[in-house]
Amino acid sequence: MPNPLLDRAADLGGTLLGRLQGLRLPGVGTASAKDDPVTAARRWRVVTVLVPADRVGSGEDLPAPLAALGTLIEVRVTPAPGDKGTEVAARYRADSSEEEIGRLRAALRTAKQLLEVGEVLRMDPRPHGERAQTPAGRLLDGVVADAKKEGVL
Amino acid sequence: MKAVTWAGVNKLSVEDVPEPQILNDHDVILRVRRTTTCGSDLHLLSGYVPFMRAGDVIGHEFMGEVVEVGRGVREREVGDRVVVASFVSCGSCWYCRNEMYSLCDNSNPNPGITEGLWGQSVGGCIGYSHALGGYAGSHAEYVRVPFADVGSFVVPDGVSDDRALFASDAASTAFTGVDLGGVQPGDTVAVWGAGGVGQMAARLSAIVGAERVFVIDRLPERLEQARTYAGAETIDYTATDVAAELRELTGGRGPDVCIEAVGMEAHSPGPQGVYDQVKQQLRLQTDRPTAVREAVMACRKGGSIFTLGVFASMVDKFPLGALMNKGLTLRGAQVHGPRYIPRLLELMQRDELVTEHLATHVMPLSEAPRGYELFKEKQDGCVRAVFTP
Repeated sequence: MPNPLLDRAADLGGTLLGRLQGLRLPGVGTASAKDDPVTAARRWRVVTVLVPADRVGSGEDLPAPLAALGTLIEVRVTPAPGDKGTEVAARYRADSSEEEIGRLRAALRTAKQLLEVGEVLRMDPRPHGERAQTPAGRLLDGVVADAKKEGVL
Repeated sequence: MKAVTWAGVNKLSVEDVPEPQILNDHDVILRVRRTTTCGSDLHLLSGYVPFMRAGDVIGHEFMGEVVEVGRGVREREVGDRVVVASFVSCGSCWYCRNEMYSLCDNSNPNPGITEGLWGQSVGGCIGYSHALGGYAGSHAEYVRVPFADVGSFVVPDGVSDDRALFASDAASTAFTGVDLGGVQPGDTVAVWGAGGVGQMAARLSAIVGAERVFVIDRLPERLEQARTYAGAETIDYTATDVAAELRELTGGRGPDVCIEAVGMEAHSPGPQGVYDQVKQQLRLQTDRPTAVREAVMACRKGGSIFTLGVFASMVDKFPLGALMNKGLTLRGAQVHGPRYIPRLLELMQRDELVTEHLATHVMPLSEAPRGYELFKEKQDGCVRAVFTP
């Protein structure tokens, strides 16, 4: 049976994970940047992939998750120093929301997996026992649901 | 199938859960033959790693038989008897290519959690919370092993299940500390903690040529094992001043390499122990670093300290001044399993490394909650509880 309170806890978990990235409390969010939202939205989001630059492609030839964002984003591909592969940077051409930045983070991460591994890691269905529907449990559900699009990337 | 699940803080359950499936081409499914408790599981059980969901299958140190292979698997086949690295590694990213397998870029599907905590995400680990990927664990009849060509290793004939099991994590974690901690022939090594990892670190230090090895703990049965199976000299920290004892035993120099195999729930007698307990319970620090502090103070000038025990986040009263002024190297890592498991299996095959004595309590999966109770409370001489699904 749906429980609005527990659903709210799950929503809160996702929001909390995002907010923690911006906090500077001891033990939480210490890796985060203190950029204001406008500056943060303009930053290049960058992953390094261990493939030659010509494997990354450009435009419609980019890995599918990045190609799907089309002309909304600009992409910069440069060799990484020290034989570490290729730096793939992307950002939105126009102002972007937290939700859109989250989508870009997830796209960069899955693009990296496709380039390096050839497929995207799948996790479900996975074996588990009874998921007690507690507020703390649903809070964690929300955190996990948003974990692919959160982080400092 | 039967599986051991986390059901809340200090609560474990044995439940019927669905069997795992091949989800990626590089997966295999393993029928688990042996799976063991690890000290780091106790941090999950006690709620110090707050990313466990009721129903999560735990367990990350295991071996078994391959029963199904994904179509992209090249090196393994049905029927192989294998031991599996606890951390999941893709084998293709820069970290894996440079043998830093637990730092894999592609094996943690929840990077947002650990990026916030640590600035970077590390690799995923089987059965070790949603912060490290949310993989279903090995305390089950079957387990999915992703990237099986990278993280699973065929056990040579002549090496028993009971011996090979500990190559999965305890011995490979120990080898990570011995190797990256820089143990050299002729060195004096001190190991804090005489659990499975500590004992393996002591034995492997001797194998790579350390001249003297000291193991520090408080439990007589574990210290006895360290003497018998690792050839170590032992120090009971409840009976003496560890730093003074080490000074006396090392000509006033201190150990060349200090290996910490205790982790975030270190015990300590006296006011320092009380201080750390209170701060941790009030969540003013997440980890109790007693053994690391002691290692920093005891280590010889210019020596190195390696933290193998699991730490989650922040510690208090860390002797950074001693670290800097004594010119110490402090390093840590989760286990780089695939870097060391092949060599460990060779040592096991030659009987140079024995591990069976660690399995003080062998029991069916249905008795896992009792096994964890024995293990957590150190009752009945329990060093490791091993389950046979």
